[in-house]
Amino acid sequence: MNIKEYIESGLLEAYVLGALSPEETREVAENIARYPELAAEVAAIEMAAIQFASMDAPALPKGLEDKIWNSMSTHAANAGGDDEVVSNPKVIPFTPEYRKPVQWKLAAAVAGLVGSLALNAVLWNNKNDAGNTSVALTARMDSLSAKQQQLAALVDDYQKAKLMMSDTGMQTIVMHTMQKGHPMAATLYWSKEKAEAYVSVDGLPPPPAGMQYQLWVIQGGKPVSMGVLPNSMANTPSIQKIGMRIESGEAFAISLEKAGGSPTPTMEQIYVLGKA
Amino acid sequence: MGEQITYTEEQLLTLLQGQSRQAFNYLYKQYSGALYSVIYKLIGDEQTCQDVLQEVFVKIWNNIGQYNAQKGRLYTWMLNIARNSAIDKLRSKGEIMKAKIHTGENVVNSLEQRASSEQSTDTIGLRKMVNDLQPEYAEIVQLAYFNGYTTEEISKTLNIPSGTVKTRMRRAMGQLRTIFGTKQ
Repeated sequence: MNIKEYIESGLLEAYVLGALSPEETREVAENIARYPELAAEVAAIEMAAIQFASMDAPALPKGLEDKIWNSMSTHAANAGGDDEVVSNPKVIPFTPEYRKPVQWKLAAAVAGLVGSLALNAVLWNNKNDAGNTSVALTARMDSLSAKQQQLAALVDDYQKAKLMMSDTGMQTIVMHTMQKGHPMAATLYWSKEKAEAYVSVDGLPPPPAGMQYQLWVIQGGKPVSMGVLPNSMANTPSIQKIGMRIESGEAFAISLEKAGGSPTPTMEQIYVLGKA
Repeated sequence: MGEQITYTEEQLLTLLQGQSRQAFNYLYKQYSGALYSVIYKLIGDEQTCQDVLQEVFVKIWNNIGQYNAQKGRLYTWMLNIARNSAIDKLRSKGEIMKAKIHTGENVVNSLEQRASSEQSTDTIGLRKMVNDLQPEYAEIVQLAYFNGYTTEEISKTLNIPSGTVKTRMRRAMGQLRTIFGTKQ
């Protein structure tokens, strides 16, 4: 498939605006999953579409967001509560049969007052308990949503990795340790056709302070720097796209260099190497 | 748009499935303007539009589990919910405008409306550029985006080949991307 022609055809625009038939839509969705260029293009189209529409919207009233949120919470609460409604409440007729003496009424009033005070005390306690519970719940919610955000980011990374690896033109190069007694490995994914490469260094230890890993491609026997890798990548399952085009190369290597990188690799500090 | 965090579609989906208030805040901040605008172009009465917007968010919230990425973008899905809810509302109200939706008559109206409606200072420049879109581009974007026409329907309505409809869509969105600075 010619990606450029595909993009120029306007199919992606029609896709974002929802103007394609179900069959066309499915087809485009599959192609987007296959080709990262299409996914990037679609994201940019969508961004413009959202901004374009947002520009024309009259201002929304301030309280609307809360109002909508509250209406959704009510929906959830109602769903469970319906069965508690009593369909045939028993009716008890109230017919005073005789006049009670005044003292009796007074006693009843006092009893009522005492009862009400006691009830207030109980309710007040409950309310405090409820307050504490709600604070605890809020804290829990906060920590859960923070965790969720991390998970979402992780899912996104995996998604990207999946997309990239499903590309059939992608070659996988495992770089093995060059340091005796230290089992290490890193993986490079290279699409020669697109001159694109991705690297994963979760098999390398975090670099010491002031040092950074640097990636090299060996071209015609000479190492050419492909840039330094962020220290956060070491020892974590993440994949990074190499910023430079890699059109040729016999091998790839990663060396430990001073932060910022070196013009040539320090030979004894080459950690891993793999042939293409 | 002043938004520091933007989630990718996958991240947003994961967030939404958790049904947290935070997810809703993000959803609202990011999409309420665009969805409201779509509803507004179809209905026009602000109070009714706000009611519809509320219904739309409730539907998105309650049906997020049914969203299927194989059937299009999350935004496109939300867009469809917004358009359909607006059209349902018009139907239920039995308004005359119902007819307009299907004739494309309101294309001209809303283009005029767009030119004359109130403008906040920071969007005047952008709006001017958007208004400078060639009419044959603006028309197609209007029909597809706001009226929910498919490329086939636009092709029949305007009597141009559907391939041309798509390439015009491409050019129109390309100009919008230049205007909003979202070129790749």
